[in-house]
Amino acid sequence: MTIIQDRPGPQPGAPHGTLVEEPLTEFVPGPRPRGWVKFITSTDHKQIGLNYMVTAFIGFLTAGLMAEGMRTQLIAPNNHFVTPDIYDQLLTMHGTIMLFVFLGPFAFGLANYIVPLQIGAPDMAFPRFNNLSYWLYLGGFIVMTGGFLTNNGAANFGWFGYAPLTNAIHAPGPGADMWLIGIALTGFSGIFTAVNTITTVFCLRAPGMVMFRMPIFVWNQLVTMFLVLLAFPVLTSALGLLWADRHLNTHFYEPGGGGQPILWQHLFWFFGHPEVYILALPYFGVVTEVIATMSKKPVFGYKGMIGATLSIGGLSMGVWAHHMYTTGAVLLPFFAALSLLIAVPTGIKFFNWIGTMWRGTITLNTAMLFTVGFLAMFLFGGITGVVLAQPPLDFQLHNTYFVVAHFHYVMFGGSVFAVFASIYYWFPKYTGRMLDERLGKLSFALLFIGFNLTFFPQHDLGLRGMSRRIAVYDSNLGYNFLNALSTTGAYITGIGVIPTLINIFKSMRTGAIAGDNPWDGQTLEWATSSPPPDHNFESLPPIRSERPLWDANHPDELTRVGH
Amino acid sequence: MSSLSGRLLATNFGSPPGVTVGDKYVRSLWHITYYIGTPLAALVVGLIIWCLVRYRVKPGEEHRVPAQFQYHIPLEVAYTIIPLILVAVIFGFLYGGEDKITNVSKNPAIKITAEGFQWGWRFTYPNGHQEQGTYQAETNINSVANLPVLYMPANETVQIRLISDDVDHGFYIPAFLFQRDMIPGVNNVVDLNVTKTGTYLGECDQLCGVYHSYMRFKVDVMPPSTFNSWMSSQAPHSITNAGVHQ
Repeated sequence: MTIIQDRPGPQPGAPHGTLVEEPLTEFVPGPRPRGWVKFITSTDHKQIGLNYMVTAFIGFLTAGLMAEGMRTQLIAPNNHFVTPDIYDQLLTMHGTIMLFVFLGPFAFGLANYIVPLQIGAPDMAFPRFNNLSYWLYLGGFIVMTGGFLTNNGAANFGWFGYAPLTNAIHAPGPGADMWLIGIALTGFSGIFTAVNTITTVFCLRAPGMVMFRMPIFVWNQLVTMFLVLLAFPVLTSALGLLWADRHLNTHFYEPGGGGQPILWQHLFWFFGHPEVYILALPYFGVVTEVIATMSKKPVFGYKGMIGATLSIGGLSMGVWAHHMYTTGAVLLPFFAALSLLIAVPTGIKFFNWIGTMWRGTITLNTAMLFTVGFLAMFLFGGITGVVLAQPPLDFQLHNTYFVVAHFHYVMFGGSVFAVFASIYYWFPKYTGRMLDERLGKLSFALLFIGFNLTFFPQHDLGLRGMSRRIAVYDSNLGYNFLNALSTTGAYITGIGVIPTLINIFKSMRTGAIAGDNPWDGQTLEWATSSPPPDHNFESLPPIRSERPLWDANHPDELTRVGH
Repeated sequence: MSSLSGRLLATNFGSPPGVTVGDKYVRSLWHITYYIGTPLAALVVGLIIWCLVRYRVKPGEEHRVPAQFQYHIPLEVAYTIIPLILVAVIFGFLYGGEDKITNVSKNPAIKITAEGFQWGWRFTYPNGHQEQGTYQAETNINSVANLPVLYMPANETVQIRLISDDVDHGFYIPAFLFQRDMIPGVNNVVDLNVTKTGTYLGECDQLCGVYHSYMRFKVDVMPPSTFNSWMSSQAPHSITNAGVHQ
């Protein structure tokens, strides 16, 4: 445990009240690896975090192209841009990659990069284990996407893979196996990252960083990682049973042999609903950080916010069957009540975010714009969530485009906008350079307009009765115009990503120099250089609240005690 | 199908009118959700916009000092308790409606078995008569002429047993505002009481393989007398194949 011994702190003999500035590593063995060698071998949490985020963003672009393919197919009724089989492969891999390769692992990347910095730690608790997590994840991405190169194509039974459509008879061929193995690999990666992050948060906090002084982002990551530990092993086991059904002739999900297809649905959604919060809670943390920093205020209702996060985490374990209302095999009132209850802590968060902005001095830059976009669209997705939580309305809307619209408002309008907010907020820390604001605002405008144009009409399509996952639709049912609108929006959304990509490549080399703390930030990641050195900190400000850097920089503007 | 704005202004709040007795429960839930959700959303969006307009740093006020408050316990308690009450109200409404919609009668007017398979439908009547059809009879998605037909009487409780021969399917009739999955190993029985005669379109809404999009059927809801005479004209254990003219 030499790392812990190397951490800065008051030293015996040092003058009272000063901080020791000593190098954190005692010896540096020769030149550090660079470029590809660094990418492959590094156990530095910052390098691994960036590896995660870059790989996840490539996943986002890959799955985004698949979405453009699907929307092109649906631009007109009875269209034949792709065959129904290709369409099914696209919809399966779009969902699988977006969830298992992009949104989750991007948050893991943020956890890797930001969590140790925010708690004043020199690295993650298990750096080599961390490196293994990344390689399992990358392997999973390559394996599941590699399905497209096989004889029968990639998996084509939806990202939820309901048995018995996934068995060896209905889904022959290696594409389905590669889907299954790919998800299992990313699942192990997630479990390892969760173990690592939880240990880091519990064991490597800097002196003074008690639990109730951790930034909200760290709290949200911590709760998320517990959800990962509870949910992912269930999925991995369910996939193991499925693999056995496919290759060892077992009958876990085979009705013919006494198995139960509904078992898969229970196991899958027991993972699947916590997964939704695994993909949302870290991003709630991101927007909380951005709002507090850009408003120059402490997080309003800090402890209430943590309570809300914990109750969302707890409730999310008990609502899986609201994905199964229409199966006729679950107790409806129980799951409806718990599902509705989740709206309460989520609402608390909204009011806390508003309270954080209240009477602040708000800088409306690109990171903040994406955050406001997040607030507006996540709110809308939350309200349609209350609609769908009610079984009688779910009987009407389940498996229609209303559901597609709902969860894209949550996952795209919510989490993906927070991904962009995180890029614009922390890019200066990653690279030492600022992103261009004009390109950023252009990207925001295109994404905001494109996103709403794509998904708002889908609410109405669902109310009109258009079901999901159909490759062709009848031209006589009033779906035509709304689908054309939606596809137009999808193209605008796709174009909207380009300014951000250009921005990243351009600003890496020519962006304005950021300095340590470009936003007048409050938390410890801004207390070190940009990018931070190996083992992160030369010295730490005293930690007396959840925003130690603000306290150090603004001693006359401390959080007012009382209410 | 009327426009969205037309439906929003009508009392259904965007949801098309249903044609079954369950419609009024669905409608009451749309109402209560909108009455609670719309003002709440307006309040939250309004507050966010107010913050951005009022507290944004405008040129010339770079030295304004942000207020550094953090807690307001009465306010925090209020926005925890009030949403809890609102959620409880919604739950009260849905509990009653959900019970009515999923209730299964002991003495239905007629029992029909609906069977889904890759990729088609088979409807079996009490005397053994079967109406069936597959995607092969109707490969043009724009035509409904050769789809299998589910005949049923209006204003009567029709009990449908939903089974699947192979993979999961979904029994979905948009105009009924209702669907139920067909899962091997799950015994699903639903009651439908349609109040308006006419022909409706139904479809499988659970991804079930390549020709999922083509797995549709028609529902012909007839006055009870017409249905009874149709029923009595069908020979026991006879089979009508959609798209095949006998």
